[in-house]
Amino acid sequence: MESSHNTLSCESTWLQHLFLGSHGTQHCHQNVLVKLKYILRLTLLVIKGQVISGEYGKILIRQKASEKIELGELLVGEASGVKILLQAVNLLYGSQISQQNLELISGMSLEDNERVDFMDAELRNYNLAVLKNLITISDNNAMVCKRLPAFFSSVRDVTKDDLSFLTQPRDSLFIGNLRSGSKMLDLPIYLDGKEVFSHHILVPATTGRGKSNMTSVLLWDTLDKDYCGILVLDPHDEYYGRNKLGLKDHPSSDKVVYYTPTDVPAGCRTLKINLDLLKPGHFNGVVEWSDPQIQCLSQYYREFGNKWIESIVLDKPLKADFFEGTIAVVKRRIMSLLDLEFNGSELFCNGVFSLNAGEATIADICKELEESRTVIIDTSDFSGSVEILIGSLIVTEVFSKYKRYKVKGLLRDKPVVSVVLEEAPRVLGKEALEKGPNIFSTIAREGRKFKVGLFAITQLPSLIPRQILANMNTKIILGIEMKPEREAIIQSAAQDLSDDDRNIASLDKGEAIISSNFAKFATPVKIPLFEDFVKGSEKVEVKKDFGGISLN
Amino acid sequence: MKFAHIADCHIGGWRDPKLRNVGALAFEKAIDACVEKDVDFVIVSGDLFNTSLPSVDGLKMVVKKLRQLSNRSIPVYLIAGSHDFSPSGKTMLDVLEGAGLFVNVAKGEEVEGRLKLNFTVDSKTGAKITGLLGKKGGLERGYYEALMKEGLEKEEGYKIFLFHSLLSELKPKSLEKVDSHPLSLLPKNFDYYAGGHPHIVTNAKMDGYGTIAYPGPLFPNNFRELEELSSGGFYVVEDGVLEFEPVQIYNVFNIKVDAEHKAPKQVSEEIMDHITGKEFNDTIVTIRVSGILESGKPSDIDFKGIFEKLYEKSAYFVMKNTNALVSKEFEEIKIDAKDVEDVEERIIKEHIGQINVEGIGDKEVFVTKELMRVLSDSRIEGEKVADFEIRVREDMEKVLGV
Repeated sequence: MESSHNTLSCESTWLQHLFLGSHGTQHCHQNVLVKLKYILRLTLLVIKGQVISGEYGKILIRQKASEKIELGELLVGEASGVKILLQAVNLLYGSQISQQNLELISGMSLEDNERVDFMDAELRNYNLAVLKNLITISDNNAMVCKRLPAFFSSVRDVTKDDLSFLTQPRDSLFIGNLRSGSKMLDLPIYLDGKEVFSHHILVPATTGRGKSNMTSVLLWDTLDKDYCGILVLDPHDEYYGRNKLGLKDHPSSDKVVYYTPTDVPAGCRTLKINLDLLKPGHFNGVVEWSDPQIQCLSQYYREFGNKWIESIVLDKPLKADFFEGTIAVVKRRIMSLLDLEFNGSELFCNGVFSLNAGEATIADICKELEESRTVIIDTSDFSGSVEILIGSLIVTEVFSKYKRYKVKGLLRDKPVVSVVLEEAPRVLGKEALEKGPNIFSTIAREGRKFKVGLFAITQLPSLIPRQILANMNTKIILGIEMKPEREAIIQSAAQDLSDDDRNIASLDKGEAIISSNFAKFATPVKIPLFEDFVKGSEKVEVKKDFGGISLN
Repeated sequence: MKFAHIADCHIGGWRDPKLRNVGALAFEKAIDACVEKDVDFVIVSGDLFNTSLPSVDGLKMVVKKLRQLSNRSIPVYLIAGSHDFSPSGKTMLDVLEGAGLFVNVAKGEEVEGRLKLNFTVDSKTGAKITGLLGKKGGLERGYYEALMKEGLEKEEGYKIFLFHSLLSELKPKSLEKVDSHPLSLLPKNFDYYAGGHPHIVTNAKMDGYGTIAYPGPLFPNNFRELEELSSGGFYVVEDGVLEFEPVQIYNVFNIKVDAEHKAPKQVSEEIMDHITGKEFNDTIVTIRVSGILESGKPSDIDFKGIFEKLYEKSAYFVMKNTNALVSKEFEEIKIDAKDVEDVEERIIKEHIGQINVEGIGDKEVFVTKELMRVLSDSRIEGEKVADFEIRVREDMEKVLGV
C-alpha cells in the first residue's frame, strides 16, 4: 500500500537516498532542514489518480475516490525522471459491476425503495478521466511531449514549482492567472507582448463571458509599458471609465488619451476630424459602392484633391463624364454618412467631421501611439459605418507611417501598435472581404512585418476566413456556446485543441484558454475581475506649483 | 463693447540689427490702431516680449504706448506667455504691472492644492476677464489640471478667458508635430477665448465654448512666417463680431526657386527673373532655394550679386534660406572671407586631412561644413527632443552617406 507522499518514483528514490545517507553520518543541520522541507512538499502533493490505460493524447486514469478531477484540470504524471503535464479533456464513470447489474440495482433502489449499498463502494465504482499530453518538463525546460507517463504511475495535482519554466518575458503581457479546472493558481501567465501584439490577437467569445473585463485587464496591464501603443475603437465607451472605474484611474493615466465627440471630460480630446483628411480609399469596407460610384469618388479626388468631398456636396462639375444619377447617389451617401448639411450656399458639418477643426487629429493619434500611449476613441455615438471609417482613417495613417519607418530602418525603435476592434467580422468577415480588401484585412495579412497588429474581438469567428483566422497567432478563447464557432477556433488554433471542444464549451465567465504561437502549451487561465485587479493602484498626487500666478 | 485682442508681439525677437526693432514698431502701430478704433480695452494673450527681461530699446517703445493707452483710460489686460514668463518670477511684466501700465489677469488663490482663478472686471464694460499663462514645453497643463472650473463656468456676464497654448482641435496640419492641449482643459461657457502661442490666424466656435481665436503674431517672427503670413495683425472684437486688423510694417516679397536638375547659373538667373522690373521699397525679400543642383555648389549661386541688385532696388532687407539645397559635387572653391561662412571654410581648409576618415576622401571640407550646419540646427519650438534627435540623426546620415 502506498501513501500519498511517496508514490512518485524519482522523488522516492531521491528521498531514500537522502535518508539512507550516501555520506554516512556527516549530514549537517542544513541538510536535514532541506530534507524536512522536501518531505513537507511531498506531503502537500495531492495524488489525484493512476494511469490505467489509453493511448497518446487519450490517457485513461482512475480518479482517487477522495479527490475531484474537473474538466480542463492540469495534472502531472511522470516517465523516466521527467514530468509530463497533462490535462483532463473528458470525464466518465467506471464500475466493476456489469451494466446489467447496475441497472438492476438502480431499479431496486428506485422502484422498490430498497436501500442498496455496495460492498467496498469506492473500490467498485469510480470516476475515470481522459487526459491529453500537454508538454514534457525536464530540468525546468518545457518541450513538446512525445511520450506517455509510466503505466500504472500516479498522477498528481500540478503545483507552482512544476511550472517554474513559465517566466516573465521582458516585454510582458499579463493574460491572467494559471487555471486548473476552475481553480485559479497563484501563477500569473505572461506572454511576450511585442510578439503577441504584432502577430494579432483574436478574442472569440459569446456575450457575457468576460470579453470587456479581459480587455480592460490587458489594457490596464500594458498602459505603463513602453513596448506598445494601443488604439481602442470603443463602441460601448467602456474602457476609459467616464462614469466608472477605468483606465482614467491608472497611476499612469497620463498615458491614456481619450477622444470623444460629446461631453468631453477635462483633459480629454474632442474628436474632430477635418474633412480634408479623408480620401476615397478610407471608404473601403465602410460603404458598399458600385464600380461607377467608386470611379466617381476617385475622379473627384483626382480633380479636387483635399477638397473633393466639399466639391461633391457643392456639385462642382467634373471634367470626366459621369451619369447624373451616379453623382447624386454618391453625394447623398457621403452627406448622410458624414452628417453634412448644405443650405444652398454653405456647407455645414454636424458630426465628428469638420471643415475648420481637427486638421491634426490623425497625426496626433499616430504620434500618441508612437509614444506608447493607449488611445481610446469613443465611437458609441456613431453608426457602425462611421466607426469603421474613423478606424480606417487612423489605421491607414499608422500603417503607412510604420511602412515608411521600415524603409528608413527606424522601425526597430518604434513600439508595436495594436488596434482593438470589436465585432471584427464587419471588416474581416468573408462577406466584407468579398467587396474588396480594406486596411484591416491588409494588416491582418501583412501587419506583423511592420509591427502593426489587430486585437480582434468577435462572437462569430466562423465568419472570418480561415486564412485570416490562422494569421491571428494568439487566441484568447473565452466561453463559446455555438459549436460552429468553436470548430472555427479549434481548426485555426496554434496548438492542437481537437480534444478541447467540451473544455471550451464549459468555460465559465472569466475563464479562458490561451492558444498562441508564443505559449508553450494551450494555457488555461482565469482572468481576474478588473475591479480586483486594479485594487491598490493609486494615483500619486503631486503638489502643484502655481508660479507666475499672482496668488492672494 | 469693443476690444482688441493682440498676441505674440515678441518684442526683441529678431536678432538681425535691421529687424531688431520691428516688433516694437508693430506694437506701436497696433496700439495706434486701437486708439483710432476707440476700443474699450486691449488684451494681450502672452509673449508681449520675446524674453522675460527684454532690452531697453524695445521696452522704451512699449512703455510709451502703454502709457498712452493708460492716459486715454484704455486698460490693458494681459497674461505672460512661454517667452516672457520666468520661473524665477523676475520678469519685466511684473515691473510694468507694478507701474500700473496693465493688469496681469492670471490671478487667483490656492484652495486645497487646487487653483481658483479670480476675475478682473473691466470697470467700463463690466467684462469679466481671467486667464492662465503659458510656459515653455506646454508645462502650463499642470495649472489647467488643477484649475477649479465650476465657479468660472457658472459666473454670469460677458466673460473672456486669456490663454497661451496651442489647442489640439484647432492645430493646423503645419504644426502637427507640435505638442498641444485639448480644448477640454479650458473652462466652458466663456464668451471669448483669447488665444496666443501658435502663430496662426484662425477662429472657431466649438460646442460648449464661445469664440476661440488666435490672431497670430503682430509681425512674423522668422523666415518661414514671413513666407506664410507676410504680415501680422490682431483682432478687433465688437459685440461678438471679429475683424482682423492687419499690421503692415514692411512689404514682404517671397521668392521660391526649385533648383532640382539646374546649374547654379540657371538658379541665379531664375531669381533675377523674379526681381527684374520690380521695385522693392520698404520690402523684406526672402529667397528660398531648395533641391539638388545638377552641377556646381550652392555657393556658385550668385547670391552676392542678387543681394546687391535687390538693395539697389531699395529693398529694406534681404534674406536667403538654402537649408534644403544640396549639391551633387563636393569640391569647394576659394572665395574671399567676407562672412562667417567664409571664415569657417578657411579654418576647415587649414585643418583638412589631419584625421583620416574612411570613405570621406576629397569630400572632407564639404562634409565638415555640412555637419557643422546640421549640428548647429536648433530645436523648433514645440518639437520633442526625441523628434529633434531623429531629425538631426537623419540629416547627419544624409551628409555622411550612411
